[in-house]
Amino acid sequence: MSASIEIAGVSKVYDGGVRAVDAVAMDIRQGEFFSLLGPSGCGKTTTLRMIAGFETPSSGAIRVDGADITHVPAHKRDMGMVFQNYALFPHRTVAENVAFGLRMRGLDKATIAAKVKAALAMVELSGLEDRRPAQLSGGQQQRVALARAIVIAPRVLLCDEPLGALDKKLRQQMQFELKQLQKKLGLTLVFVTHDQEEALAMSDRIAVMNGGRVEQVGTPTEIYNQPTTRFVADFIGDTNIFRGERTAAGRSLDVGKGLILALPPTDAHGTGVLSVALRPEKIRIAPRTDAATTAGSSAHGIVENTNFLGGAVLYRVTLEGGHRVLVQQPNAGTSRLFVPGNGVTLEWTPADLVVLKD
Amino acid sequence: MSNAATTRPNGLALFILPSALLFALFFFLPIGLMALMSVLTGNPVVMPKVAFTTRHYGRMIGDPYYLEVIWTTIRIGLVTTLVALAIGYPLAHWMARIKSRTGHALLLMAVLAPMLTGIVVRTFAWMTLLSDKGVVNQTLISLGLIAQPLKLMYTETGIVVGLVHIYVPFMVLTLTGVIGRIDERLEQAAENLGASPLRAFLEVTLPLSLPGILAGSLLVFALAISAYVTPILLGGFQIMTLPILIYQQISANFNVGFAAALGIVLLVISLLLVIAYNRALGLVSGQRELQ
Repeated sequence: MSASIEIAGVSKVYDGGVRAVDAVAMDIRQGEFFSLLGPSGCGKTTTLRMIAGFETPSSGAIRVDGADITHVPAHKRDMGMVFQNYALFPHRTVAENVAFGLRMRGLDKATIAAKVKAALAMVELSGLEDRRPAQLSGGQQQRVALARAIVIAPRVLLCDEPLGALDKKLRQQMQFELKQLQKKLGLTLVFVTHDQEEALAMSDRIAVMNGGRVEQVGTPTEIYNQPTTRFVADFIGDTNIFRGERTAAGRSLDVGKGLILALPPTDAHGTGVLSVALRPEKIRIAPRTDAATTAGSSAHGIVENTNFLGGAVLYRVTLEGGHRVLVQQPNAGTSRLFVPGNGVTLEWTPADLVVLKD
Repeated sequence: MSNAATTRPNGLALFILPSALLFALFFFLPIGLMALMSVLTGNPVVMPKVAFTTRHYGRMIGDPYYLEVIWTTIRIGLVTTLVALAIGYPLAHWMARIKSRTGHALLLMAVLAPMLTGIVVRTFAWMTLLSDKGVVNQTLISLGLIAQPLKLMYTETGIVVGLVHIYVPFMVLTLTGVIGRIDERLEQAAENLGASPLRAFLEVTLPLSLPGILAGSLLVFALAISAYVTPILLGGFQIMTLPILIYQQISANFNVGFAAALGIVLLVISLLLVIAYNRALGLVSGQRELQ
């Protein structure tokens, strides 16, 4: 039966004072696909290893279904883990690898054989029982690692960048299969990745980590549409970040170089310095008109760079005051493509601006 | 692939010439001569009339004394290897897994330091420790644990102690290399699947380190059965091993032919072991490397 995990103010300080994980707190719900997302060195893998029991927190507690497991050794935690390099036993066959956890649980031979067969069928590897890991492709090894972890019916499945070594096509296919399997089995899955697209595509919820701390926890749409910190806005997808001071009235932001941005209506008006983010696809691009721009929600500029992405076109536009802005235009096939040097007018809706904590 | 590479003339192949010459002159030639001498009635350099004979080998098989010497040599080699393995494996595992660089350097120094001292010096050191009036016996007597000194010198035990001390570094260095290449995450994967740390070691690390165990054991065994100084000094000619016997046959009895035959026996024991080693390695590695 899948379990919930509570990480309560966990820190990990290594000898020499390096704080790999700093007061991390999060609740992972039962049956949830939960991703730890962040750049390398952000503490996501250390957090996962503490959940698995390979590292002991310096402070704080980890609870599974309410029971404190902070000091329970790894082999008594009943969690499955898929390692980054799969960590398959090279001296054992595929079937022996998958059977390992069942053997440790003292099951009888017939039960083990049946369960191994079912697990291999689930990951579509039937017929490869007697191969050794070295004789398998990367994708097949990945499936063996997955089968080995799920065959023990773990309370939690932990995955440390399991798809990192696969090429793009195969990775997408495995993302889809892993997600399906997780839903089918109702597994609580903690997934570590540095690939934001992967996290957005697969997760029920994501914890974005940076410098050992959790920046934001939320659903993929929350993380993408309402990033709360500058780091999250910058790390997830392309974005334009402006920093400036509120104008006297407090309704707009003076970001310098003659550009004033109208703040979204939801903003609690006040004073002081503020950062805001605006996604490239929220900006509309049109040929330059002679009409004056609407204060706070449009600007004139010149296309500096055109990047054709297939489904969309990404422009880098230099505004008249000197700000450089990324603009993404969907490739509908009918709209005109701008080339470097074209004069353009950009327009946006103030409500699409997201106010960030620094 | 390899065929194309070997058939094409390559200037770099000339670099192997010095070592090939060295091997021919100082390895194949002496061993060939030794093999030849072992089947001749005398030394052809000093004796004009020599004939082929099998009498040296016949003498060895016919006299239980020589078989006993061969068996003693092998027994000392086996015990030395097992003790070196038992002492060396935990140390090698520690060295391979230690995180701190300083710690690793200190351990490596500790393993290598004895090798900076000559074998003779180290063996004399053991004599001062193990003799009847040595440190070990005097300490035990003064503590009242024993009344009579234990017989440590001039026994196989004494020889094994000395040999283990000298050859344990070879075991440790061979094992460290192999254990260090075993991914630590394999043990973690085993623990994650429910294996206790001991079980994870037995199921994963130990079998994967078998090539190192075999290589280290082969090395230590071959060195131990051919050791000469330590068995003489710590055995005091009371324990007879093949190398001592060979030396006696040449220097005291001037029986070069018999000495050569004994040398061939020593060589054959080592060769059989190398063959067995290759077989065993093929089995434990599941023929993977051979494909």
